[in-house]
Amino acid sequence: MALLKGTLDVLVLKTLSWGPMHGFEITSWLEERSGGRIGVTDAALLQALHRLEERKQVTAEWGVTRNGRRARYYALTPAGRAALREEAAALVDHVDALTDILTARRAEP
Amino acid sequence: MSGTPELGRGIRAGVRRLFRLPPRTRAQADADADAELDAFLEARIEHLVARGMTPAEARAEALRRLGAPLDDVRASLQHSAERREGRRRVLDWAEAVLADVRFAARQFVRTPGFTVTAVLVLALGIGATTAIFSAVRAVVLRPLPFAQPERLYMLWESNREMGSDREVVSPPNYLDWKERVSSFADVEAYGSAPFQVTITGLGEPLVLDGVPVTGGFFSMLGVRPMLGRDFTEAETWAEATWRAGETPLLLSARTWRTVFGGEASAIGRAVELNGGHARIVGVMPEGFAFPSEAVDLWMPSGWASENREAAWYRRDQSIRPIARLAPGATPERARAELETVAAQLAREHPATNTHVGAGLSPLHAFLVGDVRTPLLILLGAVGLMLLIACANVGNLLLVRASGRRQELAVRAALGAGRGRLVRQMLAESLALASLGGAFGIALGVAGTRLLERLQPAGLLRVTTFPVDAGVVAFAVLATVTAALLFGAFPALLARRSGPGEALREGGRTGGVAPGTRRVVGGLVVAEVALATLLVLGAGLLVRSTIQLRQVDPGFDPDGVVAISINLPGSRYPGPPTIAAFYDELLARIRAIPGVESVAASSTLPLRDRGATSDFFIAGRAPDAYGTEVVRRSVTPGYFETMGVPLLAGRGFTDADTFTDRWDEPRDDRVALINAALARQYFPGQDPVGQRITTDRVPDSTSQWRTIVGVVGNERQSEIAMPAQIELIEPFGQAIDTRMHIYVRMAGGEPTRVVPAVRAIVRELDPELPLIDAVAMEDVVADSMALDRFLMLLLGAFAAVALVLALVGVYGITAQVARQRLPEFGLRMALGARARDILGLTLRRGLSLVIIGLALGVAAALTATRAMAGLLYGITPNDPTTFLTVTSLLVAAGFGASWLPARRAARLDPATTLRAE
Repeated sequence: MALLKGTLDVLVLKTLSWGPMHGFEITSWLEERSGGRIGVTDAALLQALHRLEERKQVTAEWGVTRNGRRARYYALTPAGRAALREEAAALVDHVDALTDILTARRAEP
Repeated sequence: MSGTPELGRGIRAGVRRLFRLPPRTRAQADADADAELDAFLEARIEHLVARGMTPAEARAEALRRLGAPLDDVRASLQHSAERREGRRRVLDWAEAVLADVRFAARQFVRTPGFTVTAVLVLALGIGATTAIFSAVRAVVLRPLPFAQPERLYMLWESNREMGSDREVVSPPNYLDWKERVSSFADVEAYGSAPFQVTITGLGEPLVLDGVPVTGGFFSMLGVRPMLGRDFTEAETWAEATWRAGETPLLLSARTWRTVFGGEASAIGRAVELNGGHARIVGVMPEGFAFPSEAVDLWMPSGWASENREAAWYRRDQSIRPIARLAPGATPERARAELETVAAQLAREHPATNTHVGAGLSPLHAFLVGDVRTPLLILLGAVGLMLLIACANVGNLLLVRASGRRQELAVRAALGAGRGRLVRQMLAESLALASLGGAFGIALGVAGTRLLERLQPAGLLRVTTFPVDAGVVAFAVLATVTAALLFGAFPALLARRSGPGEALREGGRTGGVAPGTRRVVGGLVVAEVALATLLVLGAGLLVRSTIQLRQVDPGFDPDGVVAISINLPGSRYPGPPTIAAFYDELLARIRAIPGVESVAASSTLPLRDRGATSDFFIAGRAPDAYGTEVVRRSVTPGYFETMGVPLLAGRGFTDADTFTDRWDEPRDDRVALINAALARQYFPGQDPVGQRITTDRVPDSTSQWRTIVGVVGNERQSEIAMPAQIELIEPFGQAIDTRMHIYVRMAGGEPTRVVPAVRAIVRELDPELPLIDAVAMEDVVADSMALDRFLMLLLGAFAAVALVLALVGVYGITAQVARQRLPEFGLRMALGARARDILGLTLRRGLSLVIIGLALGVAAALTATRAMAGLLYGITPNDPTTFLTVTSLLVAAGFGASWLPARRAARLDPATTLRAE
């Protein structure tokens, strides 16, 4: 399933609210949580991380994974946390509205 | 889930900012993006392999999941990373500059002593430079406020016989030049001598400074009256005035405001001018003043055209012509043409023009003339002072920076680029300079006002030095230059010292690195050299002024006051009436209690030289005439009153007078000559009894005078100029309307007699204007005003420079002493005496002083030549001055190094060792 525009950023922020992660951890986490229902290309994810970093919603620093590999770890900034709260609320609202419309039955006679 | 951040490699952004480390570069950002992509793919592949895929399958799957070709993804990620870092760099930079300034401010607050000293030193340097620059700009640099001023040229006569040029011109020569030289679009002229006019009919009689100009003068300059009308071409000639029955006057805006209340009704108003009818026809624009700011009004030249062919008129050098070059004409062609015309005139009028040439100079350069050199010397001096101030602050910063080496080293070790540290240093210097500059500009404005008041009256064409945008721009430029100059040293040193070196030194000695010490030493040497140069310059001026003070003006100014009176010709038409007035005046003044003696002369020594003329001594060869003899008339008792010795013969008596047959030849005319004339024209002879006339070629109408005595030389125009030859006539036989009354008072302030004299003048003639009075001591002092002015200013700059340089010497010696304290302690413990320690410390300070002195003296040997024209009685390399100044400086330098050295030597070795 393709993602709604602008949704990926919120999902990434949400994922990072559990703690610092590197790119592959983030995508794995999203796949697990969605039961594979959300399809994000890896390029899009990495691009989203750069975008968030530029907006100073996340910071990045190099670290070492449990397997002993180097990886770029992303962490939420206070600004990122605020953005997550705001955009998540808006998105939930939006999705509720969509759900209401799309699941409405024909009016009772 | 989360890994451990890698140590050392990744520095947190906050830390990065805190230590002012640079953001990542472009290449680093690209590498990061690449590495991240590779790591991501690795992780994906590893994951898939763990789920049972073969590595090849896993790799294909990973690339498929990427969603786009690998190279495209790589490029786009690199691009976004670069953009991100670029933006961050700009933001960081702005933030860092702010932080730098805040950081600098904190540093300054933490070290108030340093800050106040540095700011004061800079403010002094920048302020003084700004003030002098305002004067230079007003006088030398500002273009004349006329249309196309660069096309204007001053024309002058030269005289081969007397080897002179730039001389004043006679009206007939001017008229011929004007008519015959085609390179000039127009030539107009103004009267060269200051001309006092008395205006009556406005209540109190008023004495104003007037300048006669030819009719087209203002239109040639390209200036129009702001009110009323300009003069007309016809008004150049007296006939116009005769026809109108009155003289038209143009007022300066200042006179219009102060005398006529700035009312439009002043135009057309009739006034009495020196007893004749005159009418105000216009007002010149605000700020227009020519030839000097003292001018109150202008009147037409009013020449009588019938005089044009008279020989005496061709010798009547009384005007300054200004020419405007015709379009397309060059000054070279104009000069050639002018010289050709002068040669023609020499042939046409051999009696008057045989030796007369002509030349031209750019108007601005001509007007600025004499004051250009002194002003530029002052600007140079003040610039040197600013340099010393910069060196001084640079030194302060360096010494402070060496205390901060630990800080800088830590920052460098954390990866702060050297450029970054240099910028930090420069930000500090700039902040410091800005503070100094702000105070400096305020000081400069105050200094400018002070200069305006201190400048000798009449020295400069302008009396105000406005602090305009140009001056402020100069001050800002000086500030920034200063910041770069003194900020550069610590910044460069910060670049040079590697972090490891400084860190290894640890916090133990807190001393100065060898590199820093060399630079500080170099700066001190430069300071001493520059200060030496300045002090030598000031020393030369001081000695020159002392020499000048010892000059005997030829009269005794002590106790004598001079009072100037000018009788209007209209009410005192002939010699008898004029003589009667002055006789009565002198008699009444003589009766005032306290008056020892009183007399009058048509000249005022050192100020008003009077006219010169040719002369001929009876019995000499026809071509043995003389030129340029100063003529004046004095009343009996003048030389006694002024304390001028009678060297031979007799002085004038009341008998040397006649009131009839003025114009006829008669044989009872007498004269005195001064010693210069006697020595030059009567060597080895007795001039008494010889006859002399003021005609170059005597004829039957010549008035011969018998020389009855010789008097001492009085200096006539300048104190620094030897007395010219002089022919003195008795007032009773050479009546003049304009006389200076000299009153010698018995003790006390001589000017106290002035109110009584004024009362007498008012009784004798209530319509005479208020009269000028001046103590002769002030006249003598004023004649050295420029020298004193220069000496005071240059002396002040030199003093400041010297103090700054000595502070530098003191500072470096103290620094060395402090640094070697442990060594000294050890030495003393091992038996060295205090004297040895003293010597060790002194050596450093003194060697810098000696090197600086040597360099300064070497530079001065050449540089002071620029002052040659300003010095009296000494050469620019006057050995006495050089020796005195050098020994004084050695002594001062010794003192400045001895103080800290003594302190070091007095310390208890036990204490210093324990402190280690």
